[in-house]
Amino acid sequence: MAVEVGRLLSVPDTVGTARWFGRLRFPILRTRVTGFALVVALLLLWECSARLGWMVSQNWPPFSLVLTATWRGLWSGELAAPLAASMARMVSGYLIGSSCGIVLGLLLGTVRVLDRFVTPLIEALRPLPLPALVPPLILFLGLDDALKIFVVAFAVVFPVVVSTVGGVRDIDEVLIGTARTFGASRARTLLRVVLPAAMPSICAGLRISLSLALVTTVVAEMIAGSSGIGYTILQAQYGLRPEEMYAAVLCIAVVGYLLNMGFVLLERRILRWHQRADADV
Amino acid sequence: MSAFLSVDAISKTFTVGKQTLSALGRISIEIERTEFVAVLGPSGCGKSTLLQIIAGLIPPTSGRVMLDGKAVTAPPRDMVYLFQQYNKSLFPWRTVLDNVAFPLEIQGNSSGRSVRQRCLEYIAMVGLSGSEDQYPWQLSGGMQQRAAIARALAAEPSVLLMDEPFSAVDALTKLELQTLLLDIWAKHRLTVVLVTHDVDEAVFMADRVAMLSARPSTIASVTDIALPRPRDTIATRESASFLSLRHGLLDTLLKKDRPGPTPDEVRVTMDGAAHG
Amino acid sequence: MDRTGSRLLPGLVSFVAVLAIWELAGRYRLVNTVLLPPPSMIAATLWQIVRTGTFLAPLGQTFLLLFVGYALACGFGIALGIAMGRSEPIYCFLEPLIELMRPIPKAALVPPLFLFLGFGATMKVTIVALAAFFPILIATIQGVRGVDRIALDTARTFGCPPVRMIFKIILPASLPMIVTGMRVGLGLGLIVVVLAEMLAGEGGLGYLILDMQRSFAVRQMYAWIVILAVAGLTINAVFEFVEARAIPWRSK
Repeated sequence: MAVEVGRLLSVPDTVGTARWFGRLRFPILRTRVTGFALVVALLLLWECSARLGWMVSQNWPPFSLVLTATWRGLWSGELAAPLAASMARMVSGYLIGSSCGIVLGLLLGTVRVLDRFVTPLIEALRPLPLPALVPPLILFLGLDDALKIFVVAFAVVFPVVVSTVGGVRDIDEVLIGTARTFGASRARTLLRVVLPAAMPSICAGLRISLSLALVTTVVAEMIAGSSGIGYTILQAQYGLRPEEMYAAVLCIAVVGYLLNMGFVLLERRILRWHQRADADV
Repeated sequence: MSAFLSVDAISKTFTVGKQTLSALGRISIEIERTEFVAVLGPSGCGKSTLLQIIAGLIPPTSGRVMLDGKAVTAPPRDMVYLFQQYNKSLFPWRTVLDNVAFPLEIQGNSSGRSVRQRCLEYIAMVGLSGSEDQYPWQLSGGMQQRAAIARALAAEPSVLLMDEPFSAVDALTKLELQTLLLDIWAKHRLTVVLVTHDVDEAVFMADRVAMLSARPSTIASVTDIALPRPRDTIATRESASFLSLRHGLLDTLLKKDRPGPTPDEVRVTMDGAAHG
Repeated sequence: MDRTGSRLLPGLVSFVAVLAIWELAGRYRLVNTVLLPPPSMIAATLWQIVRTGTFLAPLGQTFLLLFVGYALACGFGIALGIAMGRSEPIYCFLEPLIELMRPIPKAALVPPLFLFLGFGATMKVTIVALAAFFPILIATIQGVRGVDRIALDTARTFGCPPVRMIFKIILPASLPMIVTGMRVGLGLGLIVVVLAEMLAGEGGLGYLILDMQRSFAVRQMYAWIVILAVAGLTINAVFEFVEARAIPWRSK
């Protein structure tokens, strides 16, 4: 492989990208040094434009102030507390939604009748944008945790169901036949053969819905705000406290990044057999 | 009537859309305990279908399969079907050892060190010692097939059904695996039904060769292979009797395909569904 | 004909069953009909909205914003994705920045964008474009990088010049991947446009839904949700139709 590609975009470079440009005269262009330089340059530009008055606006605090606001907010609890509250909701919703999704997906993938009657309903509900569900749910669940956890779980269920069903459908008949020839029962085949065989696909769904869970948490907190990081962002905007607003966005971004990275690591452990099998092909 | 494994007037009809396709038409064969029978036929004649019916994996349209006096309606415990696609049949998320342990788990005696010990024995039997902790993708095709054989043995079956087990490995590996399988067959006193389109393989391995006709298949002939055992990869194949048996079978197999199309074949072609 | 029928029928049956249960639950006061009016009442309100044509303006507004933003995201995402997928210097130059931007839940950027772009159309188009851009970009990069060497070499042996290679080989070969990204992007775009309308409070379906809830016009709220759902289903169906046309070689 020509270059160590990004961790999250880790795709084998089968095309040999550099080839097209002939032989590069500056090998440094083939490292991400340039990319990090760009990021630093942009941050410097942000800092200077605010400090030196190139961009005069109340909404444009220098980056360094955002950083100090983040630091202060995390220590004083002004940011840490809503962040923790948001995370707790997100995680509960995610766990509930994904376990329901896997169970439902396994059922729909293996029980024909259920699939024929229930899948069309799911397909019909899926394109409904989530924010639209928040107002009616407020009527039933109020503005508290129950609402947000429910919305997150609801958002998470769909991708997990779809990917689980897809994974179950794609299982080679030979695998099922093998389990049968050894006399495995239906339940055991489901747990020992169908579930692990569908795991790569399930994990893909779980990863998609992890970032979806984060977005949904923020969305729900903004619409039905009473606490949480989404509410904090909105309040800071209304109150014209831009440093605080950017600091909260920064926190959310970092959390999103860490969550995704954690998931990738976990997935790699769970699917050790699969990743290697892919690399081999 | 008291044969160990008896296939009694099996027929199978598939429905593709609105057309029905007769794959097997009244096949009967009786197989004795510890016998090695090869089923030979042109590709697409329904050999695999027959074998899967015997295995209890798919139901026949009519007729029945009896194993040791009992009708086969689901995969019986002491009969194991070895899939042609061994690379798909091994569980990719399990190591070789765990794959071999699968039948033991199913049979419910999956406890303790003895299981590991037994699995290792089977793995040794197929010559895979040292690879027990590897995942299927780390093995070559021949080694994967060995692992699949070890797993089949771990179920301690009395009948082994094999669907073109060596069609996807290279020529040399194929010879090795054939000898290995004959050894195992003799050692474990197995009953084997081998489906193949390889005349050489059928003659080399089997006690009897049943030849299937084109679709809808029936048994065209049964040939006794009276070659001495143990058979040798090289010497047996050079013996005059081997060559004449091979000659005879190839002759009928090829002649059968050559003359003008029979009404059946014409219909199959027009259906356009004559695969598998 | 009868195959699609047998596929649609069970779905229709369960749909009708759900509506019937809902209706009966309302009739027999098993649920609070103030909070969850029976479907017949919602349908009446819905009919009112549809018959008078009141639904056209908000629907048009929301989906115009969505389409403009989405089209921008597709254009920029695919173009940049091809550039990053094909050229290593460009890839290395932009990858860290994109990796930094990507994990930000785009919904969190709605308030900052209010500050800079106000509450109008520009802001909503921008947030839709931002939300849809990243999945399309990432999918395009992955698709372009995953193009089989053999396909490229085959084209090269026929003397295909590099620029035509993009349109003749790279784009078609990575299209399935790109379309997957576009699908994710469309979903995210729809989410943020509704959210932005709710928070901005300047019309559109999202605004109406939230506004109806706040003024406790529960039936109207559900009616507007139905309109939004039907619109969402429709663009989904259109997307699938176009997808099937654009990638006829992909087996289901």
